This record gives sequence, structure tokens and C-alpha cells, in this order.
Amino acid sequence: MNQFLQALINGLLLGGFYAVMVLGFSVLWGVMGVINLAHGEFLMTGAYLAWLLFNSFSIDPFISLLLIMPVMFIVGFVMQKYLLNQLLERPSLATLLATFGISVILANVHKIIYTADPRNVAVPYSGSFEVMGFSFPIIKTLIFVIALGIMLGLYLFLQYTRLGKAIRAAAQNKNAARIVGIDIEKVYAITAGICIALTAAAGAMISPIQAIYPFMGQPFTLKAFTMTVLGGLGRIPGALLGGMLLGIAEVMVATYVPGIGTNLGVVISLLVLILVLILRPQGLLPGLRKMQTD
Amino acid sequence: MKKFSRILLRKWGVFPLWGLLILVLSAYPSTGASSIDLFTATQVFLWVTLASNWNLIGGMTGYLDFGHAVFFGIGAYTMGILVTNTSLAFSPNLSFWQALPWTGLVSVIFALLIGWATLRLKGPYFSIAMLSTFAATRELIRILRPITGGGSGLDLPPVLNRVGDYYFMLILMAIVVSLMGWIRRSKLGMSLVAIREDEIGAEMRGINTTFHKLFAFAVAAFFTGLCGAFWAWQNTYIDPDVVFLQNRNILMIMMCMLGGLGTVWGPVIGALILYLLQDSLWSNLADYHLLVLGILLILIILFVPYGIIGTLKNNNISFLELLNLGNKTKAKFK
Repeated sequence: MNQFLQALINGLLLGGFYAVMVLGFSVLWGVMGVINLAHGEFLMTGAYLAWLLFNSFSIDPFISLLLIMPVMFIVGFVMQKYLLNQLLERPSLATLLATFGISVILANVHKIIYTADPRNVAVPYSGSFEVMGFSFPIIKTLIFVIALGIMLGLYLFLQYTRLGKAIRAAAQNKNAARIVGIDIEKVYAITAGICIALTAAAGAMISPIQAIYPFMGQPFTLKAFTMTVLGGLGRIPGALLGGMLLGIAEVMVATYVPGIGTNLGVVISLLVLILVLILRPQGLLPGLRKMQTD
Repeated sequence: MKKFSRILLRKWGVFPLWGLLILVLSAYPSTGASSIDLFTATQVFLWVTLASNWNLIGGMTGYLDFGHAVFFGIGAYTMGILVTNTSLAFSPNLSFWQALPWTGLVSVIFALLIGWATLRLKGPYFSIAMLSTFAATRELIRILRPITGGGSGLDLPPVLNRVGDYYFMLILMAIVVSLMGWIRRSKLGMSLVAIREDEIGAEMRGINTTFHKLFAFAVAAFFTGLCGAFWAWQNTYIDPDVVFLQNRNILMIMMCMLGGLGTVWGPVIGALILYLLQDSLWSNLADYHLLVLGILLILIILFVPYGIIGTLKNNNISFLELLNLGNKTKAKFK
């Protein structure tokens, strides 16, 4: 029983990270129908920036994400404005291929800059503390708390600010939003900026416990896809649910199936994805946008 | 005479030219070509075959398969396991020709199992499910250490036969491209294009869409598996990272995009151009070659979405129309 509860706690902590990791992907998809195949590569970019700041100026990753987010906001804004907005009227597979191209470019730019050697951010507080006999790794708990904070912030932003309302309107009906005077292209670019900034923040947070290398991105993209399909597109509770479910599933398999460890993450996410798409293709929660399965 | 040639072209297209090209190419090794030239030519044939296969499912049927290299890997590993005697679990130790049919068969079975699940998904969902399949299979191969050798890979018996390799790949390419041309003109190909253009409509016209999709998928997987098996034999060493290489997915897609999705000759031209480009990039600026390819992919999407052949056809370029390259319908990127 104790082992089970400990695994559940680990799963929830991992799920908290997954939830904040998937936010950018989910909102981007929910608001403008862009499936961002470069998601994992933006996360990797954030992790590398955190490593750079930690290594050169010894800024803690949890502080440097305040510097990384504005930079990556600009990157996302530019990407949407000058590339993806050009493909708005084209079939959705054009944007899919374009983001695929971006993922190749980002991974290889980082390989050229930093070489393919794995890096890690060795923060001084990497232990764990105990509450009622269960151990809580400090970094993962910190990520969990910050993740919940970010999600709450984004939820309030989307729900109550003028810009947030414009973003939701653009997601619901592009043309109607245009009629009431929303500058769709600008709103899209800002949304992409926010999403990429969040993704990079997730990357910065994971940097102390994950080896950073240029090709680390793909599993994150694939898992983000599964979680988004699981939880519904563009909804923050959905991201939380999808992240928790996948995190728990992964930790449970790692705990109870011997000799495998966490190597099966992508396999599990593929199985979950296929099961969900066959049994409940509309996702577990209603999303911002209907999933167009045809 | 002119009328006769026009009828001939309409009926057979450029296939007589294609046959002539194959004949000319088959004489190439006897002209005293160097070993390295033969190797390059073999690689070009390999990529033409791969791109044509991808085009069957991605271009004609409209299911953009982002993980098609998984069949390449399955073929390579089947070959590796069957011919090697180093694997711990069992050592069948077959010869190349004995193992070859099994590699195709295993790829087809794998394709039917995977396709049964993933081909229900449409558009981006299928693409990502296949990308997941690709990554998941790589992880599974790495974990199944007793059979596949895990991360340290398998060593195949070293056999150096450049001329034999050349003819094997030339014949495979000739078969595959001719088959694609035939499929494109047959009722089967029409059904596939109908599925691409409007799947529900096709189903209402009485086309068994599930059968057609699975068939196209299995054919593409069969030949891709053979290519993988050949590659493993030629390379004499396989491990999960060199076999399940993400670049292979990207290149297959880009070759079809550059040449023209859904056309018969697009992948041939695209593969020729891109392989030679990639080869020269690789030897001149190895670190940057994937970066350049990524930028190229985005440029193709932005500026030549229909590919070379598709753009020419959409603009009714006359001599190509006379040559009747492929079909009259617009190569539509869907």
C-alpha cells in the first residue's frame, strides 16, 4: 500500500510538470488549430537557456525562467507572425509540415551551438524531504507548485482580461471575431508568444532533473499530443487532467513492471493515445475547439 | 506519325522512356564505374524507392505518414535477426535471399496491425500517431535486448558486393516505380485519390475505403521493409539509432513534397535532387546539412506547395503535357 501511495505521489508530481508542459501545446492547438510539432524543441530551447544562464551567471533555473519567458515570447510571436500566419488559409497539414521543419531547424541549431553532449543543471538543493513517511523530491515539488501557479494565472488571464477574451473569441469563431473588430493575426501572434513562453518555462523548470541534449524534444511533443487529446483542446483543466493521468500511468508502469524503468514513456503514451482516439475521440473533457477527425 | 506517337504517349505515358532509362542504367557497372559511384547510384535508387512508397500512402491516399521509416527499421531488424548468429535468443542464420521474403512479410503484418488502429484517424491525428509508432518501436527495439541486441545493435556478416547491390536496388526501383505508375492509372489508384479528395464521398460511391487504405499502407510497408532489409545487409551493422533515424522520415516527406505529392514521377525527381543535394551538403558542411534541409522544407511549403511536377502540371506546361507525366488531375496538396 505504501509503495502504491508513493508511486501515486510521484505520478502526481510528474503530472504537475506534464500539465504545465502541455499548456502551450494545448492552447496553441485549441485557439488556432496549429499542431506544434516543434513543441519539444521549444522546451529544449528553454532548458538550454536555463543551462546557459546557470552556467555563465549562476542564476537559478526557477529565477531565470522570468528572463527566459519574455525572450521566448518574442520568438513565438515572430514565428506566428511571419511564418504560420502565412499558412492560415492553407490546409492544416501545411502548418503541420512547417512546424516539423521548425523542429528540425531548432534541434540542429542547438546541436551546432552546444554540441550533442548532454548537459545538466546541478542545483544545490537536489534532495528530498519527508512528510508522513512519504518522500517528496524538492525540485519536483517546486515544479508542481509553480505549475499550479502558472495554470491559475493563465486561467485568470484567459477568463477575465480583455485580451484573454479576445483569444477565446478567436478560438470559438474566427470570422465572427473578425466582424466584432478583433485583429485575428495579432491575437494569434500574441497567443503563440504566450504558448512558446510557457513551453520554454517548462523546459527551464525541468532542466535540473533532466539531461539536456539537442534531440530530447520529440518524446515531449508526442506526450503533449496524447495529453491534449486526452484532456480536450485548449482547456486548462483538461491539460491538468491529461497531465496527471499520463504522469500516473507512466510512474505506475515504471514501479510495477520490472526491468523497464521509465524507458517506455512514449510506448505508454502511444497506447493511451490509440485507446482514447478509438474509444472516446472527443476527449474526456469538452475542448475549446471540436477536434476535427475528418 | 505524330498522331501515332500521341496515342502511344496517352496510353503508355513516359513508361517506354522509363524502360529505356533502366536499360541504360543496367549497363552502367560494365563501363568501369568506380565503387564509390556505384554506391552513390545505389543510394539514389534506394531513396527513389522509399520516396515512391511514401508517396503511395502520403501523396495518393492523402494520409501523411510521419513515421514511415518504422517499416524501414522493421525490415532492417528482421533481416538482422534472421541472418545474424550473435543474438542470444535464437540463431536462424539464414542467407540474404532466404531472409528477404520474411522481411517483407513481417513489415506487412506490422503494417496491418498498426494500420488497423491508426488508419481510422484522419489528417494530423494519423500523422502524429505514426510518429508515435516510430518512436515507440525504437524504444521497444532497445528494450528487447535478448532478441535485438538492444542499444549495442547487431553485426551482420560483412559482404562487399557493390555491383550486386547496384543491380538489386535498380531492379527493386524499376519494379516499385512501374507499380506506382500502374496503380496511379488503375481503378485502385483512382479509388485512392478519391479517398484523398473526399473520404466520405468515396465511401458513398461504394469504395471500400478501409480495404483500400490498408492495401496501400501494406504495399508501401512491404517495399519499405525490403529497402530496410537491403540497407541493413549493405551497412552490415544496425542499432536502434542508425535504423530508426528521424532524418529518414523527413527526407521521404521532403522528396515527395519537392517533386509533387501524388504524382508518379514527382518522388523520382525529388529523390534524385534531394539525395544529391543532401550528399554534397553532408560531405561539405556535415554539421549544417540537416539545418539546411529544415529550412528547405519550410521554403518548399511556402513557395512550391505543389512540388515541381505539380506546379508544372497546374500551369499546363506544354511539353510535359505532351509527355503526359502522370495524370491530368491537379496534384492537390491536402
